[in-house]
Parts: sequence; C-alpha cells; structure tokens
Amino acid sequence: MSLLGLEDRQWIFLATVVFTVTTVLGSYSALKLHRKTGRPYTLALVSFGWVLQTLGLYARGLQYGGCPLSNRFELVQFLVWSAIALYIFVGPAFRLSLLGMFTSGFASLFSILSLSLSSWDTANRTPIFGDSPWIEMHAALALFSYGVFGTLALTSFMYLLQSRSLKQKKMGGLFPFMPSIIDLTQINFRLLVLGFCILTSSLAIGSVYFTRDLESANYSLKLIATVGVWFGYGVLLILRLRQTLNYKQYSWACIIVFAIALLSLDAVDRAANKEVDVAAPANASSTRL
Amino acid sequence: MSSSHCELLLVTINHENVSLEERELYTLADEQVASLYEMLHESPIIGESLVLNTCNRFELYFTTTDAEDGLSMIFETLSGFYEIPREEVVSHAKNRSGQEAIKHLIEVSAGLRSQITGEAEIFGQVKEAYSRCQRLGYAGALINRMVQKGFQAAKLIRHSTPIGQGQINISNVAVDLSLKIFGSLDRAAALIIGTGDISGKTAKALRSRGAKEFGVASHSHDRADTAAHDWGGSPKEIADLDSYLNEYDIVISSTIVEEPLLTKESLSKLHPKRKNRPLFLIDLGMPRNLDPNCDELDNVYLYNLDDLAKIAEDNLGERRNAVQTSQDIADQKSVAIWQMLEKRGLVNSR
Repeated sequence: MSLLGLEDRQWIFLATVVFTVTTVLGSYSALKLHRKTGRPYTLALVSFGWVLQTLGLYARGLQYGGCPLSNRFELVQFLVWSAIALYIFVGPAFRLSLLGMFTSGFASLFSILSLSLSSWDTANRTPIFGDSPWIEMHAALALFSYGVFGTLALTSFMYLLQSRSLKQKKMGGLFPFMPSIIDLTQINFRLLVLGFCILTSSLAIGSVYFTRDLESANYSLKLIATVGVWFGYGVLLILRLRQTLNYKQYSWACIIVFAIALLSLDAVDRAANKEVDVAAPANASSTRL
Repeated sequence: MSSSHCELLLVTINHENVSLEERELYTLADEQVASLYEMLHESPIIGESLVLNTCNRFELYFTTTDAEDGLSMIFETLSGFYEIPREEVVSHAKNRSGQEAIKHLIEVSAGLRSQITGEAEIFGQVKEAYSRCQRLGYAGALINRMVQKGFQAAKLIRHSTPIGQGQINISNVAVDLSLKIFGSLDRAAALIIGTGDISGKTAKALRSRGAKEFGVASHSHDRADTAAHDWGGSPKEIADLDSYLNEYDIVISSTIVEEPLLTKESLSKLHPKRKNRPLFLIDLGMPRNLDPNCDELDNVYLYNLDDLAKIAEDNLGERRNAVQTSQDIADQKSVAIWQMLEKRGLVNSR
C-alpha cells in the first residue's frame, strides 16, 4: 500500500539504506579513522531509519487494519523494528559504546535478507494471528520480546569479542571503543529479564485467548515453538541467577537460543500459513484488505 | 605601535635542539616570569609577548616593529636575564616568524613536538602560560587571536587523529586494561604484591583513575605495613595469599619469587567462590610471579611485563604514524590563521 507517495516496501528499503549507512559509517570511523562516531549522530541516524521503517510498517498495517504480521517478511521487519525501538528508547540508559553501530548492523542484515527473499513476502494474506486485538497484542509483545532477545544476542556477541581481544591481547580493531566486559554482562542480564518478562506477558495474554477459544490453539507446532523459546530463556535466566554458567557460556547460549527463536518464527509462519489455508474457504468472505 | 609594521616572531629553546644540560640554563621559576616580561617590555619595539616555560622548552612569541632589531633585543635581554653569553643564547635558540611561528604553536599545543609524542599535559601548560600572559597584560589582539585559534586547531588535531590515543607507559596501560574489564575502577578492589617502585606507580595510577580499595602484600609484614601506609590500603602477607585473594579483582605482582605465587591449579580451587567475577592479573615481576597457565581459566586475564610493553609500543607507533597527518592539519590551520591576521591588519601583508 502507498503512503505519502511511496509503497510500503520502498519506505522499508529506505530505512534499510539508512541502517546500512549507519553501520558502514560507524565501522569506518572506528576501524579506519580510529575514532568513535558520536552517540548523538548514531542515535539520530538510527532514529531516522526507524521512522522510515515505521512508515513502511504503518502502510502495511493499513492494508490489514491491524499489526502487519502476515508473513515472514513482516515478522522479521517487526522484530528489527522492536530491536531498534529498544535501542532508541532504552539504549541511552545503557550507555553502551558501539551498541548503535551493532544494532544498525543487525537491522540492516535482517532487513536486507527479508527484502531479498521475495518468497518471504507473499501478498494478499490475512494476518496470521487472526483478527482479535488481544491476539494481536500477544503477537506484538512476543515479537517485541524477540527484538529484546536480538539485542541480547548482539550484546552477547560484543562480550565474546571483547573477552577474546582481552584474552588474546589484541588491542586493535574495535577494542578501544567497546564497553567493558562487566558493563556488557550487566546489560545482558537486564535484557534477559526484560525479554523474558515481555514474552511471559505475551504468552499469558495468548493463553487467556486460547482458553476462551480452544479451537484456535490447534497450531501445535506454533505453540510448541513459542513455549519452547520461552522455556529456553527461562532456563537461561535460572542458570544465570544461579551462576551455573560462566559469562562466556552464557553469551554463547544467548546467541544460540536467539537463533532457535528465529527458527521458531518460521515454525509460527508455517503453522499459521497451514491454518489460514485450511480456514481460507470459510474466511474468504471476511478477509480484510 | 602601528599595526601596519608588525612582525610575529618566535624564539624557542627546546629538547629538539639543545641538550638537557643546556635546557637547565633556561629554567624559569613561576615567580620570575613576571620579571622577564617586564624586562622584555622595557624596549619600545616589542609589542605583545607570550612566554611558554616548561621543563622541556622555553619559548617566546612576540610582536615587533622591526624583526632584526627586535630579535637582537630579545637575545640581549635573555642573555642579561639568564646571565648567559649572548652568543650562547643565539646558538641555543631557533627562530621562526609569521605563519611558521603559528604552526609551531599549534604543534606544541597538540603534543606533536613533545618528547613523548602526543602527551596531553603540554596543552594545559600552554593554556596556563597564556592565562598568565593575559593576567599580566602582555597579550593584545594578535596574541589573543593567534592563541585562541591555535588552541582550536590543536583540539581538532587531538580529536581527529590518534595522536593522543592509547597509553604509552606500562602503569597506565595496565589501568586502561582494568577499565576495559571493570568499566569503573571504584567497583574493583586491587591487590598490590611487592613493594617496589613499579608497584607503587601502578597503585598510584589506579587510584588516580578511581580505584578505592587496596591491599598491599609483601613477604615481610613490616614492609607491607609501611607500603600500605604510604600508598593507602590494608597490609597483607604473601604467605596467606590464598586466604584473601578472592577479595580482590585486580592483582599486580612484582616481587621476587622462586616459585609462581599463583598457578592454574591453585586458582581453580579459589575460582568457583568468585561466582564469575573477572580477575585481572598483572605480572610485572622478573622472573615471572604468576604461572602463564592462569590465563587458561575463564574470567581470568593475565598480562605480563612484555604484554604491557608491547601494547605501549604499539600505541606509541600509532601516535608516530599520526604525526604527518597532524602536521598537515597544523600547516593548513596556520595558513588560515595567518591570512585572518593579515585580513584584520594585525600583521604585515606579504
């Protein structure tokens, strides 16, 4: 759908360009010029990209009259949007050097991937989470928590980079501009708690909906995948609280669980797709376009 | 003085052109600076002046209506002030004029001409010299503009090139690494093992960057007690190291040992109780005080003297690589400042 003269994908394409430029500028500045791009500049650029992306997603949303979560492309875009929103609104409190550069790198990587794979963006589909505002809320919260876990995977990656540089005594590259490993471990813990709380709220809302309408809970693959991700992060939280894992193992675990969470999105999409296909004849007359 | 006949000159005696013994002849106590200014300004051909006096350099920026007479008068005055034969003063001094003098000021302020390339202290010293010159009333329109614009150029050099980045002495490298692990040193406790000079310097460097909690360990309780009193901290005996090691996050060791004080095995026993708290081990001892295998444990970061020296050397190399770029900026900026002074009629047009 077109908004202010541009199609939704065009807005998202422009946002991707801004995220990519932010990453390239940050990397060039740190690695070639040996100086850090100022936080205000990074924040301004990332915010600009986020506004463009919001316009794109809003244009998509107008098509459905709700949250644009109807295919893999939109799921990934919403996840990226959440991670960037977290950086813009909560990131300054973290005061983590280079987080903006890493977050924009994350955003551009996933955005480029979702834009390049046209099969991810199948047209004229109904929202995969149905039309109940509660279930939309459930889905939006779940995806926002994935955005938080995406940022957690990034800060875990930053921890592993910094720890490796310190162990191997390699002081070049990004090392001088990276945050301390203690700061990174503290932020990792906060992100895990935040993401877990949001995902738990999402599942709580979802479970109320499912108990009201038991037939809707029949996408077992989706249910297993989502609860599996929640369980994975729950276990990670307990292990972290009990200090069972060292920080290196914990960081790797955060990255691996996030990769599994991304795969679970695929399961959600497949399950919902199957459900929509089955229900299509019955719903055909009520499909909103 | 007519601004249409104004020349900017610089006389400099510094570590680049004279030996330490010769530089000592030009030592100037703070309270003597005012007398030197007074002597210089007894002559009507001297307009404005700025004296920069540090341990490595004596510099005099001044304006005069006649370059040759002005310079001659300055050498005469310095000879009388320092009681050094005029010919010797002339042989020790290097002169610059116009845009070259401005470029020199920028390079000095940015640390390009310091003995330790890129050191930051010189900028504060130039600022202090300028402030005194203003207080005494010897800075006019030309010196004011030249120095203020020169400071901007020096700041630009320091921010846009790696000239001042990275520590270049071992104690400060150790402190920087501590910051990369702990973020802020006020939440890290440091244990100094050994009471030698390098231990003291590192303790001082850590304290200056925010470390508050210290332990000082020695083979002898008396030595530990004395050093702990001098540096601040609680005295410990090396023999009991295992009993208190877990209280600390940073361990700096530089004592004489026959066997390593810490090994991977001994640390492995203590490590679980640390609950993932990182341990930064700095081995400044010769022979080495800590088993290199300690580094194999998670959350343990071990650096020895060679590691720290290599980082310091690399940082210095980075700074030296940045000198040419920095000089180019100084050159461009000095040309711009000189043209601005000409435009305002503060110096002679070429």
